[in-house]
Amino acid sequence: MSRWLHQRADDVCSLRCSVTALCVVVALAGKVAAFADAPGRPDVPPLPEPATVKQQDLPLLHPQIDALVDASLAASGVSAAEPASDGEFVRRIYLDLIGRVPGVDETREFLVDAAANTDARTQLIDRLLDSPEHVRRMQYVLDEMIMERRGGANVPDAEWKAWLRQSVADNRSWSWIANEILSADGAETEKRPPAKFYLDRDFASEVVTRDVGRVFLGVDLECAQCHDHPNIETYLQRHYYGINAFLSRSYVFTDAKSKKKMLGEKAEGEVKFTSVFTSEEGGTAPRLLDLPPIADPEGTAGEYVAKPDKTTRGVPKYSRRQQLAEQMTAPENLDFRRNIANRIWALMAGRGLVEPLDVRHAGNPAAHPELLSLLAERLRDSGDDLRWLMREIALSNAYQRSSSPIEVEASDAADAQVVQASLDEAAETSDEGSSEPAAVADFQAARIKPLSPEQLAWSVMQVLGVTDRTLAAKQAELAKKDGDAGAKKADDPVWQEQMLGEALKSNVDQFAAQFAGQGGQKTGFDATANQALFLINGSLVQGWLEPISGSLTERLLKIEDNGQLADELFLCVLGRQPNAEEAAEFQSVLGGADDRTQAVKDLIWALLASAEFRFNH
Amino acid sequence: MALDVTKTHVLHEWKYGKPMIACRYEPQGRFLFSSSEDYSLQRWNAESGEKIAWEAHDSWVRDFAFLPDGETVISAGCDDRIIFWPTAAEKPEPKVEVAAHKGWVRCVDVNGDGSLIASGGNDRLVKLWSPDGKLVKELAGHERDVYSVFFHPDGRFLLSGDLDGKVHQWEVATGKLARTFEAKDLHSYNGGQGVHYGGIRDITLSADKKTLAMTGLHKASNPLGAVNEPLNYLFDWESGKEVRKQPADGIKGIGTNIDFLSDGTELVASGGSGGGYLLFFKAGEEKHFHNLKLKDTVRGMSVHPDGLRVATTHYDGHIRISKMTEKAA
Amino acid sequence: MARNIGCNVIDHAVSRRGFLGAASAAATVGGLLTPAQAEAVQSGQKRILQLFLQGGVSQFESWDPKPGTKYGGPFRAISTSVPGTQICELLPHTAQRMHQVSIVRSINLKTNDHGQGRLFMEKGRRAGEFPYIGSVAAKYLSPKNPPLPGYLHITTRGLTDNTNAFLEAQHAQMRLEGVQAPANLARPDKVADEAARRREEIRSRLSQRFAGRSGQKAFVESFESSFELADRLMSQKPLFDAEPSAKDVERYGSHPFGQRCILARKLLENGATCVKVTHHGYDTHAENFNFHLEQLGEYDKTACMLLDDLHDSGMLDSTLVMIYSEFGRTPKVNQRYGRDHWGASVSVAAGGCGIKPGVVVGSTNPEGTEVADREVDAGDLFHTWFQALGIDSTADHTIPGKTIPIGDPTKAPIEELLA
Repeated sequence: MSRWLHQRADDVCSLRCSVTALCVVVALAGKVAAFADAPGRPDVPPLPEPATVKQQDLPLLHPQIDALVDASLAASGVSAAEPASDGEFVRRIYLDLIGRVPGVDETREFLVDAAANTDARTQLIDRLLDSPEHVRRMQYVLDEMIMERRGGANVPDAEWKAWLRQSVADNRSWSWIANEILSADGAETEKRPPAKFYLDRDFASEVVTRDVGRVFLGVDLECAQCHDHPNIETYLQRHYYGINAFLSRSYVFTDAKSKKKMLGEKAEGEVKFTSVFTSEEGGTAPRLLDLPPIADPEGTAGEYVAKPDKTTRGVPKYSRRQQLAEQMTAPENLDFRRNIANRIWALMAGRGLVEPLDVRHAGNPAAHPELLSLLAERLRDSGDDLRWLMREIALSNAYQRSSSPIEVEASDAADAQVVQASLDEAAETSDEGSSEPAAVADFQAARIKPLSPEQLAWSVMQVLGVTDRTLAAKQAELAKKDGDAGAKKADDPVWQEQMLGEALKSNVDQFAAQFAGQGGQKTGFDATANQALFLINGSLVQGWLEPISGSLTERLLKIEDNGQLADELFLCVLGRQPNAEEAAEFQSVLGGADDRTQAVKDLIWALLASAEFRFNH
Repeated sequence: MALDVTKTHVLHEWKYGKPMIACRYEPQGRFLFSSSEDYSLQRWNAESGEKIAWEAHDSWVRDFAFLPDGETVISAGCDDRIIFWPTAAEKPEPKVEVAAHKGWVRCVDVNGDGSLIASGGNDRLVKLWSPDGKLVKELAGHERDVYSVFFHPDGRFLLSGDLDGKVHQWEVATGKLARTFEAKDLHSYNGGQGVHYGGIRDITLSADKKTLAMTGLHKASNPLGAVNEPLNYLFDWESGKEVRKQPADGIKGIGTNIDFLSDGTELVASGGSGGGYLLFFKAGEEKHFHNLKLKDTVRGMSVHPDGLRVATTHYDGHIRISKMTEKAA
Repeated sequence: MARNIGCNVIDHAVSRRGFLGAASAAATVGGLLTPAQAEAVQSGQKRILQLFLQGGVSQFESWDPKPGTKYGGPFRAISTSVPGTQICELLPHTAQRMHQVSIVRSINLKTNDHGQGRLFMEKGRRAGEFPYIGSVAAKYLSPKNPPLPGYLHITTRGLTDNTNAFLEAQHAQMRLEGVQAPANLARPDKVADEAARRREEIRSRLSQRFAGRSGQKAFVESFESSFELADRLMSQKPLFDAEPSAKDVERYGSHPFGQRCILARKLLENGATCVKVTHHGYDTHAENFNFHLEQLGEYDKTACMLLDDLHDSGMLDSTLVMIYSEFGRTPKVNQRYGRDHWGASVSVAAGGCGIKPGVVVGSTNPEGTEVADREVDAGDLFHTWFQALGIDSTADHTIPGKTIPIGDPTKAPIEELLA
C-alpha cells in the first residue's frame, strides 16, 4: 500500500503539500457512505435543556447495554466471565468514579455492606458520583481529553481547571461545555477559561481545525488537509475545510492594554482548497462532516459590531465560530454524541468501541455499532448528561464482570491457556480492522486499565496514609483556628476535597511529570525506565514509606503477628487477601528479618510497585 | 567655531552603498579610510567626500592605523594579514603584506615614533612589527581573542584588550606583562546559549595621560539576540585602580569606539539593536550627558585631527560626518 | 560531485595557514579496543550519533561557504581531504576528515521557525504527530533487552517533546541533563543491595501472578520490561559516574560539549541505539561571525575526536553520524553583524553507516540565496537516514488500529548519498 503511495507521490512531488501526513488507516474494502449512520438531517426533537431532564424519568440504559452485549456474546458462542467479586468491584469503581483506590476502611465497609445488602453496588455508585472527589476525577479526565496535556500559558492552568471543576460540580452537560469552548473568544475575563482550547493551541489553523474534529467529533482529518484521504475513503478534503471554514475568519488579537491574546473575527472570507494529488480545486461553506453546509445569513457580509483594525478586536454581526458551537451541539449532530459516548465508554471499559478514539470512519467502525448508536442517542436524550452515562455504564453487567476471563483451575489450566490464546489472537486481529472478534474480546471480561498519572498519585497517597495524614493535620489546624465552626467546616467533604487537592497538588504534579506522555486520552499502555526508577529510587515514594506517624508502615508495625500483618498489608494496598502462597512468602520474609521496619517497607513497596497496583482491574 | 558637543549635528552623508565596517582619519586630516563587507577599502577626501575604492584583502578589514607622517596606512584583515598602503597614491598598491596572525587580525596600532606596529588577533596573540613588516616580538598571554591594541603615547607600554574583558599592559622593550586591568563587566558567559560575549572593543587614554578608558557592552541577557547595553570602564593609570563604570542605560547596543575630545569629553560610538548613537560622557560622571542618535546603526568611528569632526561608518552603506560645534549659519 | 579515492591524503592547502594540528594517525588495531567497543562492533547493531547544532548553524560558515560574494562574510573556504570539496575555514579538523563525511547543500525547508524546523528535521514531516528519528531508530534497531534506553539526548536546554508520538513509550527520548546520570538512578542510601534485590523479586513475582490472571498480558509485560530496563540502567551507573580520562579530556576539550561527546561515545559503545548531543549557541542574530568562531571552534575538534574514536574502534561502519540544525541562516548580514533564520538553502553533513563518504549533494546559487540544484527537504533526509541504516523507510509502522508510513510517502531517499 505504501509502495503504491510512494509511486503515486512521485507524480505529484512537485506539488506543495504543507501537511504531508498520510496516516494510512487500514481500511476495509467496500464503499460505504461517509458516516453512514448520519445522513442528512434526521427528524430529531430539539435538545432538552439539561436541567429539565430528570434522571428518574429516563428509561434505564444499562439493561439495553447488556441486552446488546449478551446477544453479541451469544452469537459468538462465547460465555462471559464471572461477575466481579465485591473486592474487585470496590477497587474498580473507586478508581473509575473518584480516581483513587478505596482506603482500607472503605473497602471493609463496602464488603460488609455488600454481604447483607443487594443494592450495595448501586448505592456505592451513587454515593461516589455525588462525592466531591468525582468532580476532581472528571476535571482530570476532561482536561486530558480537551487539552491533551499540552500546557500553554495564554489561559493559566489553574483558571482552566477551576472552570472545569465548576462545570462538573454543576453537572453541566457535555453540549454546554463544548458550546462554551467552541464559541469562546477569551475577551471577557470571567468567560476566558474555556478559550484555552483555542488560545493554547495558538489558534494555529491546522491545529484547531484538526482538533475540533478529533476532540469533538472523533475524526482525525489531518490527512485530508491536502487531498482526500488516500486510504480512508470517507475522509474528504471538504470535511477538513468544512470545519476550517467555521474558523478561518477568526484570528488571534492581542489586546494592547492587557497584553492578553484573544480571538477576533472578520465578517468575510471563504475557504478554498486544492488537492495536491489531483489539483482539483474546491471550496466549501462551513459544514460539519456530512451535515448540510451553513450559508451566511443575507446581508451579513462585511457587517461588523466592531470593525477590526490594529487596536480593535474584530466582532462580526454574524459569527461563524459561534455557528460552529451551535452546529456542533445541535441535536441532529449524532457524531458529536458518538464521539463523547465512545470516550466515556473507553474510560469505563478500558477500550473504545471505536479505536483509536479519534479515527472513526466507515472503514473503522465501532466494535459494536449498535451499542455506540444506542449510547449516543440516549446520551442526547438525557441532555448530554455525562454523569448519567457513567452511572448507567457502571450499573451494567458488562462493566461489572471480572477481569479474569476464565477461572483458572489447576485441572483445566491447559484449556484455559487455549482459550486465552484464542482471545489474545482475537484482540490482535482486531487491531487489523476486523471488528467482530474484538467485540467478543472486549465484552467477554472486564479489561485492565492502566491508572492515569493522577489516579496513581492519589492511590499511592491513599494507601501510604499521606492523604489521611494531611487531612487530619489540616482539620486540626482549622479547628484550632476557628473553634467549633472550624471543626464543622473540617467535616464538610467539599472543603476536604478542595483542601486536599491544593495541599497535595505538587505530589500529583510529580507523578504527572513522570507518567503522563503528551497527547490526549488513550487506552493503550506503555512504560518507561524513568517511571520505574521514580518508583524504585525516587525520594517521594521512599519518603512516604518511612514509619512516621500516620503512615501505613507505622500502622503495620503495630501488628505483631506475621500472618495478620500480611493479611492487613494485602488488604491495605491491593484490597484483597493474600493467597496461601503469598501469605507464606510474606510471613517468611517477616519472620527472617533482622530489621522488621525495613522488611515491612520492602513488602509494602513490592505490592505498591507491582503490576496489580499499577492497573485498574 | 569652538567645540560644543551638545550642538553636534550631521554635516555630510556620503554613500558607498555596501555595508560599512571600520574607518580612520589619516593624521594630517586629508583623508578618511574605511572598509566594507564587500572586502574593499575606500579612501575619502575628508573635505569633498570624493572617494576611491579598491579590492584589498581577501576578507573584511576591521581596523586601520597610520605611520606618524600619515603617508602609510595599515589595514588589519580577517584574511590573517596586515597590509601597508601608500596613503595618497592615486591607485594604492600594497607596500608590505604580512601574514600576521592565524585567524583574523582584529586590531592594529602604531607607536608614537612609528618604529613599531602592534596587531592582535584570533590566535590570542599580540605581535609587534617593524615598519618593513618584520616580526619584532610575539606577546602571548591572552586566553581569548584579542579585540583591541593601543600604544601608550610615551611609547614604553602597549595595552591589549581581549574577549575576556582583560587589558594586558606590556612593556614594549622586554615583552613582559607589566600588569592587567580587569574590566569584568565587559565580558559574560551565557550558560544557556553556551557563549562568551563582550570584549574590550576599544582602548584610549586621556590627554593628561591619567585616565585609561575602554568600551564594550554589558547586561547581555541575550547575547545571540543582541540584548545588551554599552558600557565604559575608566581606570586610573598611575594606581591601576578602577575609577568608574559608565553604563549607557536604556540604549541597546555595543560601545564600538572610544576617544577623548580636547575638552576632556569622552566620545563613544554605539551600534546595535537600538540603532546608532554618539554618546558623550564626562570622565567624572557615570551617565552620559548628551547623545546624538544617528540615522542607522554605527559600526565604526574616528575623530578628525581637528578635533571637531567625527566620522562614523554605517550598515546602510553610508559614512556620516558629524560636526561637534554649532551649525554654521 | 567528487568522491574521494585516496583516503588519508590531505590536500596540502588545508594547512596553508599552519594552524591545524597534525592529523591524528588512525590506528585500527583490534587489540586496542576496549571490551565494550569490541562488543559494539561484533553485535551487528546499527546506531545513530546526532550532533545537533541548536539555533541553526550558518551554512555559509560551515558546509557551503561563499567567500568573496555579496553575503559571504569574512571567512574563507579551505580545501579538504576530498579534492574539489571546500568547506569553511572554521572547520579545519573536519576538513581533514572530509573523506569520511558527506554534505547535502540543497535543502529547502520552507520554514524559518525554530520549532517547525526542528520538528521537520526530526520527524521528516512538516506537521502532525510522528516519532523522531531517534525514537524510530530505538524501535527498529534496539536489541530485545537493550542495556540502555534506545534514544538518549544529552543537552541542558530544549523542550520536552512527544518524541515517540504513537510508538511505545520506551522508545521516547530519555533526556540527560548534560553529563549527569538520569534522575533516580542511585539507590537511596537506606536501601541495601540485598534488600533491594529481595523486594524486586517479590514485586516481580506478584506482577507475574497478576499477568497470569489478567486478560491483557501485553500491558503487564510492558510494565515489567520498564523495571528490567531500569535495573539494567542502574547497573550502567558507572558510565555516568566515571571521570573521563585525562587523555580524553585533552583530546575532546574540558568544555561541556567535550564532556558530552565523551559520554556520547561511552553510551554508544555500551549499547545505546541513538545518542543525540546538542551543542547550543548558533542562533546568531547578532555577531554571527564572532559566535561562529567560538561555537564551531569548540565543535570542530571535539566532534572530530569523537568521529576518530568511532572510526578507530570500527564502530563508524555501523554508526550513522548526522550533523544538523533546525535550519540555516540568512544570506543577508544584518545591522548587528548577525544572520537571521533561514530555511531556503540549508546544509547538513553526515557520515558513517550506509552513507557514501566524501560526496557533496546539490548546490546553491553563487550568492547562496536559493537552491540551484537537486532540491530536497527534511522528508527526503528522513528516508535517507533510515535507508542508510538498512530500514525500509517506505514500509509502515503497525500500531493498534492503523498503519502509518515510516517516511513521508511523497518523499524519497537521496540515492547519491547512500553507499
